[in-house]
This record gives sequence, structure tokens and C-alpha cells, in this order.
Amino acid sequence: MARSLVRCLSFGAVAALVSGAAPLAGQYDRPPPNTGPGIPDDSGFLDTFVTYDHLRAGFSDPGRWLTFSGDYSGKRHSPLTQITPDNVHRLVPVWTFQTGTMTRGRGFETTPLLLDGVLYVTGSNNFAWAVDARTGRPFWQYQRELPDDLGYGRSAPVNRGFGILGDRLFMVTLDADLLALDRRTGAVIWEIDLADHRLGYAATLAPLVVDGKVIVGISGGEYPTRGFIDAYDPETGERIWRWYTIPDPGQPGSETWPDDPEISLKGGGGTWMTGSYDPELNLIYWGTGNPNPDYFGESRPGDNLYTASLVAIDVDTGTLRWHYQFTPHDLHDWDSNHVPVLAEVEIDGAMRRVVMVANRNGFFYVLDRETGELLLGKPYTDTTWAREIGPDGRPIVLNEDGSLGCLPDNWGGTNFNPPSYDPALATFFVNARETCAIFVPEEPEIEEGRTAMGGVVWIDQDQGYGALRAIDVRSGEIQWEFRYTSPTMAGVMSTAAGLVFAGDHEGNFMAFDSRTGRNLWYYQTGSPIWGAAAMTYMLDGRQYVIIPSGTTLLAFALMPEGDG
Amino acid sequence: MYQARCAECHGPEAEGVMGPNLTRLWIDGATDDRVFQTVRSGIPGSVMPSSSMPDNELWALVSFLKSLGAVPPWDEHAGDAEAGGEIFAANCAGCHQAGGKGGRLGPDLARISSRNSRDAVIQSIRDPALSVEPGFRSVLLVTADGHRIRGAIKSEDAFSIQIMDTNQRLQGYLKRDLQEVRREDSSLMPAFGPDRLSEAELDHLLRYLATL
Repeated sequence: MARSLVRCLSFGAVAALVSGAAPLAGQYDRPPPNTGPGIPDDSGFLDTFVTYDHLRAGFSDPGRWLTFSGDYSGKRHSPLTQITPDNVHRLVPVWTFQTGTMTRGRGFETTPLLLDGVLYVTGSNNFAWAVDARTGRPFWQYQRELPDDLGYGRSAPVNRGFGILGDRLFMVTLDADLLALDRRTGAVIWEIDLADHRLGYAATLAPLVVDGKVIVGISGGEYPTRGFIDAYDPETGERIWRWYTIPDPGQPGSETWPDDPEISLKGGGGTWMTGSYDPELNLIYWGTGNPNPDYFGESRPGDNLYTASLVAIDVDTGTLRWHYQFTPHDLHDWDSNHVPVLAEVEIDGAMRRVVMVANRNGFFYVLDRETGELLLGKPYTDTTWAREIGPDGRPIVLNEDGSLGCLPDNWGGTNFNPPSYDPALATFFVNARETCAIFVPEEPEIEEGRTAMGGVVWIDQDQGYGALRAIDVRSGEIQWEFRYTSPTMAGVMSTAAGLVFAGDHEGNFMAFDSRTGRNLWYYQTGSPIWGAAAMTYMLDGRQYVIIPSGTTLLAFALMPEGDG
Repeated sequence: MYQARCAECHGPEAEGVMGPNLTRLWIDGATDDRVFQTVRSGIPGSVMPSSSMPDNELWALVSFLKSLGAVPPWDEHAGDAEAGGEIFAANCAGCHQAGGKGGRLGPDLARISSRNSRDAVIQSIRDPALSVEPGFRSVLLVTADGHRIRGAIKSEDAFSIQIMDTNQRLQGYLKRDLQEVRREDSSLMPAFGPDRLSEAELDHLLRYLATL
């Protein structure tokens, strides 16, 4: 088992908001009982030491949101019903938290965690905060001192959230580190290197915490890097296992690459979006990214496993159980870094345990999550790349480079922005992008630490638009759509009250009727909602809905009847 | 130069306003080159701008910032560090972190001897109410139903207050839900006068703190 370099003293972390605290080596235990003075506190407030059981309980406590998608299934479907289609028109902003940090070229992509009335929020440029969930006022701020020689982290200085366990928060960084922070103070407990950022690696995803493990992926597929999924000990930061998306020479899957490890072992396959977890099968489901060079495939003949795929990994051993490759030998930068959605769906009269993905290639997929068997694969966009999946599970490609009609551009039919699934309606909600692009490959020079896209993409801006689409997962048919004026990177959340919350690129944060797609409410946030999906919680008897946008975190709740 | 270019964000005493406290940069591991580069390049994605001032002026600014955090070295005194560690564990660790263990209610004491003079630390032990750092100032809240909650103020505005209570929980309160918000002149830290901590014990404790 590999040992990672564990640094327990970080001189790179800036002090917390209100103390001169320096980061320390940490011991994973509860703090000793307070022996100081003071009036005994009988306020009865919660003080949760987060356990795996809490994480596994998902949405059962409405005052918690303890993992990126809210629960391990990736549905992002809240059981809360205080806000309904009948009253959502009374939704008003109740507070705004200003982050003070801007995201060059991307957006505020995070999903906050909520525990005991405190939101734990990561932001761009590796800022992070603990924020009062009632008022948006801060408790502490963490700011990482980043090196000048960032690779991928310079072009996408984003972060999508914390993981949480015990009293610790886990966050990855733009210089490809994993940190454990004290959730009460923001002080660094330990930090370890995931990979060398000078080679182009970065880390941006929200860690997934399972029983005894913090699981993370890596970014950098625009560089000649090699993707991986890692599991770490939350107490010590020691690596437990690593699974590479590109197999070693001679290993299964390596036959889909040239024999030359200089090509294959720098062939991309980033793992930069938080996966989902089935505790009964003990499998994590994780999307993998594009092969490198992105647009030039002649140097890498073959399917290039396991890029542009969904993989099921045994959590105990870090070994591959099964895979499904959405886009063999991808030439379009169609990373499959999506949130896999786990559900039980009736198919052909039998309940099946499935995993669902709306892919960047414009197809919607339903697979058996125990075996990887493809159950359904159908376009949810007007893609001309392919219109059907063949009996062998491979797409029947009609138009590789865009010369025969519109292809989804490199950002794809959708991207990493989270979808949502309502099990009561068997409906999958996704923000779709309709775009028209032509791909022009060009052999790049491969050099460590430099991007190697391998060509250019010409996008017809006049033909692009976006749409929130509702897909019946049993048939793959689109039930309804709501069109936006441009393609969007915003995510989606749904609730058991029959609402879908989504954003668009023009800054609107919106609520829709889940059954009909009728728009019921919207609010102009002033910045594209980019990469983020809403989260929601109950606090003091009030349902809050949170959305990041631009430099702000916005909170909404119902205006009480009779007010205003 | 500092007052003209930096004080608006970092405070007239460089202890931080919108921008962070600059009086502990070197204590926290910064180097001259790193500080120079940060001022020169700014911090991308934040409001900290870059600067085009000439190199010699920028180095003068770096020297000024370095002088802010200078603390007289702790002279050698009598005292046994091991005994001091035991005193710390029995009296201080409930609220203060040291060596990676302890509470969070009070400030982290790592590198305390680089940040504060020996006399200042003695004063903090003997009479902590004399000087309390921002972020650790004591408040008593009384809720509408009479619960009394004491803690350290982390943030406050006209309508709400955010504290770490004496059980080290982060809690936010709406002031309209409180009967009383009583700012306390005292510190959450008890005073360790000679009756609680003899001079010899104080020396042991200081000797231990100097090792952090």
C-alpha cells in the first residue's frame, strides 16, 4: 500500500478569520471536555460528531446535508415539502453571503454541507468558510496560499465542496493536495499530496466519505496526465488504495492503447466529479474523463479504456468490478465526469437496481449497477454523432467530426452540473445543452506540464440553446422541456413536493412543476449559475433553498403569509 | 507607504480589517521573497491587487511588515518543560490547542513564543481580561426562554450574532430571539493568579509554552 507524503504542519494556510491560529498536527479524537469557566450550558443545541451512519442516513434528518449530492445515491432529491408548487411564488431571498473571491473563466460550483445550523462551504481559489445557516454570517474563513506554478488549477480555480466525518472537513486543492480541516476553526489538521501540480494535475471535486475512507479523484485531462481514484484514511491521511483509470501495460484494458507507455500512461482519464455509492453492493460509481490529447486520436488508436466511462469500484479493495464506456476512442473532450444516479426502476416488469447517466455525448443511459448491463441508451439531445446504441453496447457513430451535421460541442450535451431524479415520477431531470460544433484535430506536441488539446473546436454560437429536460427513465422519452436562451452549465435539484430547481446561464434561479415543466418562480441572481445545483434544508421550522452564483451564496425561503 | 497603500484593507496596525492580519506572516512561515511576490502579483481571484511600485520601495514595505511581528526572544528562565506540560494538560488543554491536542475555545498556542513576548503571555495567564484577541471576546446570551449561553463572539451584526459556545459548538442566533446580549469585560479564560498557579509553576508552564 503506497504511503503518501503526509504533512501535518502547513505553512501554506492563511489564518482563520478571527484568530491567529496556525495549522497543527491533529489527532482524530473528540476534544477534551471543556474545563474552563462559564455558566453551564443547557441550551440543548446539537453538536454532532459525524459518523458513517449519519452519512448513510442521507436525507432522513432534514436539518442535514452531509455529502455532495445530499445522500449517497446522487439523486439530489430532497424529501422536504414545506415549499410546494402552490406556495413557491412566495419564495424570497433571505440572506446573501459574499465570498470576496472571483472565478476566472468558470463559476461558483460548490454544494455547501449543512450540520447543526452551520453551512460548510468551499469556494474558488481554495477559499472556504463556515457560515451561519440562519443568517449567512461567517464563523471562520480558510484561504490557501497557492503556488505560482499551477497547471490545470490556474484555468479552473474552482472547488465543488467538502466531505465531512467526525469533527473534520476534507477538501481538495488546486495544487492537487487533500486537506483535513478542523470544522470548528478551519485550521489544517493534515494535508497530503495527491499528485504533482506542475505536471498539470489539480483537484476540484467534493470528496466522498464512506466508512473509514475519504475518496477523491483528480483533474488534469487537458494535460498528458494519468487519472486515478484514491481512498485515504480520514484519521491519518494515509493512502489506502489507488485505482488508475488507465491500466498498466499488460493489464486488462491496456490492449486498447498503443504499446508505448509514454502514450498510454499520459492518456488522461481524469476523475474530477464526485461519484455515488451503494453501501449494500459496497461499490462506488465514478465517471472518468477524456483521453489525452483531447481531439487528436491518431496517436492513441483503440478504445482507450477506461476513459469516458462509468466504472464500478469495490470500496474495500479499490479494484474494478465493471465498466461501461460511453464514448470509445473519444475525440471530442466528452468527459464522462457526471454524478451517477442510483435508483430502483421497474424495467420489463421487474425492479432493477440501476445507475443512470445523462452523458456529455448527448445520450441518456440506464445500466444495471450490479453488473453494468446496459438497459437503455437513448439520445436526450439532437446530436448527430450517433442516434442509437448497437446490440454490442457501442454507439453507432454517424458523424465523427461535425462535417455531417451538428455535433455537441466539447462542453457536451450536458456536463458535470448535477442532474436530479424523482423516484415517484421515475423522471430524470437534466439541464441539456444544444450546440453545433465542428472539430478540427491537429497533432500536438506532448510536453509534461503543458496542455495538449490536439486541435480546435468551431462552435456556431447562433445555433446554441439550453433546456431543462424531464426524461422518463423507463423509456428514455422526454416528457417536457423548458428552453433557455443559451446553453447552461447549471445543475438541478428536485423535491418530493413536486418541484425542480434549476439555474441558467443568464443568471436565473428557477422553480418548476416537476410533472409539467411549468415555470412557477424565478429570481435573477446577476451571474451565470455555473456548475452548481441547489441544496435545501429545514432550520427553525423553515425550509431554506441555497444556490451559489458568481461571488455569492444566496438563501431563499418562503415569505410568511401576511407579510410584505 | 503602508498607510497609504495597505491600511484601508489591512488596518492601520496591520491587524486586519477586510484583508488578513499581516503581523504574523513570518511567524506563520512566510519568507521575504514570498511576501514580496504576493504584493507584486496580488492574489488572483481576490480583491488584493497587484502592485507596480519599484522594487526598492516594495522591499522597504516588506521590511516594514517584518518589523511588525517582531517579538523579543524569551530569555532563559528557571522551569521544567515536562512539568509545564503536565500543568498545561490539567489547566489549559480544555480550551487551547498545543502539539495538536486540546480545545478550540481559546487561541491555538503553536509558536506562542514567536508571536508574543514572555511578559505578554504572563499577563494573559495572570489577568486574561486585560487583553482579549478578536474572535475570542466573551459574551453572554439569554434566550427567550431563559437559557443562558456563554461563548466567544466570532461574528456579529445588528440582527444576529455568531459564537463558539463554551462547549465549543458553533452557533448562530437571531437577536430578536434573545432577551439579552451581554458583552463581558471578563475573558472566558479564568485568571490564574498566584493562588492558582505559583511562580514556580508559572515558570514551568512558560518553559513548556516556549517549546511549542
